[in-house]
Amino acid sequence: MLEKPSKLRIALISGAVIGAVSSVPGISLINCCCCAGVWLGGVLALYLYKQQLTEEMPPLESSDALMLGLMAGVIGAFTATIINVLILVTFGPVEAELVKSIVEKVLDRMAEQGSMTPDMIDMLRGQIDQSIKDAGRASNIFGGLFIALIVYPIFTILGALLGFAIFRPKMPQTTATP
Amino acid sequence: MTFATRVYLVLLLLCTVWCGGILLAPLLAASAPEVSSVLYRCYEPICHQLDARSFHIGGEKYAVCARCSSIYLGFFVALAVYPLLFRPGPGSIPQRTWIAVAVVPMLLDVFLSLFGFHQSTLFTRAVSGGVFGLVIPFFVLPVLIEAITQLRSQFLSRGGSFHARKAQ
Repeated sequence: MLEKPSKLRIALISGAVIGAVSSVPGISLINCCCCAGVWLGGVLALYLYKQQLTEEMPPLESSDALMLGLMAGVIGAFTATIINVLILVTFGPVEAELVKSIVEKVLDRMAEQGSMTPDMIDMLRGQIDQSIKDAGRASNIFGGLFIALIVYPIFTILGALLGFAIFRPKMPQTTATP
Repeated sequence: MTFATRVYLVLLLLCTVWCGGILLAPLLAASAPEVSSVLYRCYEPICHQLDARSFHIGGEKYAVCARCSSIYLGFFVALAVYPLLFRPGPGSIPQRTWIAVAVVPMLLDVFLSLFGFHQSTLFTRAVSGGVFGLVIPFFVLPVLIEAITQLRSQFLSRGGSFHARKAQ
């Protein structure tokens, strides 16, 4: 029986996709919905790995999903940070500006509706401006990397495990109902 | 206590810490603003944290928006009641159609709102997110327990062969 393919190559591809999705301004807003981009990266890793398996190889196991998710998450965290820094150096805080423009619209609407006091709106605007100023700080970049190294693997593991539940071969005993 | 039960308890503990952080951030805003600010910062990469789209306690928003809060709290509730319905362990995974049942309401709420066909509210976000959160653990937990059990047995067999070689 042939050996299973290397997980590293698939993890690198998925990690690169996660990094790109999580750092390209605009597209990265997908992560505002419970890290959906990172979850889907985990599902993608599992799908790509399953495509690599042939009938001569041992079947896909749940431990493969766990390891793939972990590796893709760690690589994704580093890739996202590197791309973020490159974008920051090249174009400046584009993403923060984009978020600012969206939040400004929401704040304007809230001010019109009177659902927020002018003081609170000014405070929020101040916080956004401060975050744009702080975007390039080393402490912010390393702090972001630290949090990403914890959060991304959690979500990619969940995504890969969910992917395993979706893509695993049908088994007779799968009868549980939530 | 079986190995599967221990894995389940560790996951439940981690989930409690995660959901606890979401609730502690607003609760500590007045008494310990520094801790609260760190907690908000921790959840920042995974959620927009917009005030208008979040639940509030004592005038302070949760650390994540209403949809995310519902997903995580739903996940926690489903995990907590899991042993009442099934024995934690590898094997019994629900049919795949349940994933569609979990995902479709949330996708409908997001995309219909995005294209202007329906006005997403705190209620619709909370319900659609909560349904997703309630279903996912029934898929993830059995696979996670199976995966960790496999890794453990692989590790133990490697450790066994290493000690056998060392003894020779």
